[in-house]
Amino acid sequence: MITDIKTAFFIAYKSILKGNRSTMFLLIFILSLSFLNLMFIAGIMKGLTSGMTKSIIDTSLGHITISPQVEPTKRDYIDNQDQLVADIKTIPGIVGVTRHYKTSGQISFDKEKNGKFETVSASIVGIDPNDERKVLTTYQNITSGKFLDGTETDEIVISSSIAGGGEISSPEDNLGGAKVGDRVMITFAGGYVRHYKIKGIFEVSMGGASQSVFVSSKEAESILGVYNNASEIVVRVDESRDTIENYYQRIKAMAPNLKIQPYSDLLSTIGTMLSAFDLIATIVGIISIIVAAVTIFVLIYVNAVNKRRQIGILKAIGIKESIIEISYIFQSVFYAICSVGMGSILVFGVLSPLLKAHPIALPFGDAALVFTNSKIITSVASMLISGLVAGYLPARIVAKQSILDAIWG
Amino acid sequence: MIKVNKVKKTYEGKVPTYALKEVSFEIAEGKFVALMGRSGSGKSTLLHQLGLIDTPTSGKIYINNTEVTALSDIKKTFFRLKHLGYVFQEYALIAEFTALENVHLPARAIGNKINEGRAKELLELVGLGNRLSHYPSEMSGGEQQRVAIARSLINSPKVLFADEPTANLDTVSSETVLKLFQKLNRELKQTIIMVTHEPDDVKYVDQIIWLKDGGLEKIENNNKVELLK
Repeated sequence: MITDIKTAFFIAYKSILKGNRSTMFLLIFILSLSFLNLMFIAGIMKGLTSGMTKSIIDTSLGHITISPQVEPTKRDYIDNQDQLVADIKTIPGIVGVTRHYKTSGQISFDKEKNGKFETVSASIVGIDPNDERKVLTTYQNITSGKFLDGTETDEIVISSSIAGGGEISSPEDNLGGAKVGDRVMITFAGGYVRHYKIKGIFEVSMGGASQSVFVSSKEAESILGVYNNASEIVVRVDESRDTIENYYQRIKAMAPNLKIQPYSDLLSTIGTMLSAFDLIATIVGIISIIVAAVTIFVLIYVNAVNKRRQIGILKAIGIKESIIEISYIFQSVFYAICSVGMGSILVFGVLSPLLKAHPIALPFGDAALVFTNSKIITSVASMLISGLVAGYLPARIVAKQSILDAIWG
Repeated sequence: MIKVNKVKKTYEGKVPTYALKEVSFEIAEGKFVALMGRSGSGKSTLLHQLGLIDTPTSGKIYINNTEVTALSDIKKTFFRLKHLGYVFQEYALIAEFTALENVHLPARAIGNKINEGRAKELLELVGLGNRLSHYPSEMSGGEQQRVAIARSLINSPKVLFADEPTANLDTVSSETVLKLFQKLNRELKQTIIMVTHEPDDVKYVDQIIWLKDGGLEKIENNNKVELLK
């Protein structure tokens, strides 16, 4: 057997070394495009889901969300939040902690000053802007005006989808073009009415913040009639230092009665979409592998048919069919390895940095190429196995021919 | 050495072709035999059956007391590798291999017990000691055929088969090849069975087996050569 493998390796080595170079480069180039396709589809799908998740984490959920007690009795607020926030901040790797007051209301705007108000339902969120900046990135997405600084009682920041006035928005679900400096009226859930000046307008692509109005915590406390409470506490962590699960467990130990959820538990609303993307990526990945396998099969088959006479000669001088088949397997695996190498250069050296620098802007977040180790290993293994199988079959078909047919047709 | 017993080869089709019709004969060890006959007489078909590159429809072939027609495909391949040498009409070298690699390949496949030194000796024997690292495309037809002859000898075969080995060669190259066969036969006692249609080639052989329409016509001994031997 070792003799057979050594002989097969020698035949393959010489065929590659002295074979037609342009054919070999063309073959490797085509296969590297198959690998590129395989990696790109997997990477962009993962990039899309990662982009969506990141967008939601950055603008809405953070990494861990703490909600009021549910069992044994349901509470509306987290009490004595400043102590809990201070405790959480002592955990190594915590980047920031911010509390939110949450209520709902109707925001109304009389654009033409004629007594006709555009009214929109909105989520009213009371925030501590300094803490908020350490946890969520909404302040970075201000498109006009300024973000809150925490002292305001009569100023608010609203989302662009509430403000309206864009090219594609219709007045039915927004204020019809409210701008910074305009005054709006908010009717809170309890029927309490207040007037505010718009200090800033922000734009987020996805997540709960896209229908939010931000007020200062101080103002929220005044409206809700509470003090040192929170509707939720949002935590951002350094994922490179520890796992979300470990952070979760440590926070859970600090506040066993509160409802604590990592962001993955809260993504259920887009979970279906993420699952669908994963399914699409898997299906397209399987198709890509089949395409790659068929490509290798066709190329190796054409190569083997062109060398049919040579295969006949090898058989005639006593070289076993299995040696000939193994030599073709060696050749196709060599092509597959080269294709993986060339494809990797294209993916990691060209496409990935390009899309990192210029991500594809989508309504639900920016998409770049994202690869997991398991995906890379799966793609490389798929390519090599495809090469092995798709190289073996044509060699077997041709090697099975009778010597006379192979040599003289 | 070689015993052919009622070997028949029929190519099935709408109209079956009877390429060999129960041919029987024996060849002694150390003979240089020519298979002759008109085109379509069945001489190449017979050589293919003897060289185990085709399977007869019926009949038995014995080489060195082994009934080779009863061997499995894998055993036939190994038998061919170990005990038979084959020289084709059209040189049949592997284009990507040098002359030395072409000659050494059957030895490599058998387990490399025979080293490249033996391959070099054989190439020197056929007069190509200075062409070891040349590729087939860098050699003339005659030179390529001599490389093919060296390759057929690498595993010290019991029988060397040659299928019109001079058909594509010029007169000088043809003579060189035939003299080489004669030398191998006389000096190494190599049994050689050669298909030829050239009447001039008979002067090199001990025996001529004439075929006609797929059947054995006659067997002639070349007494001149026998006497020289």
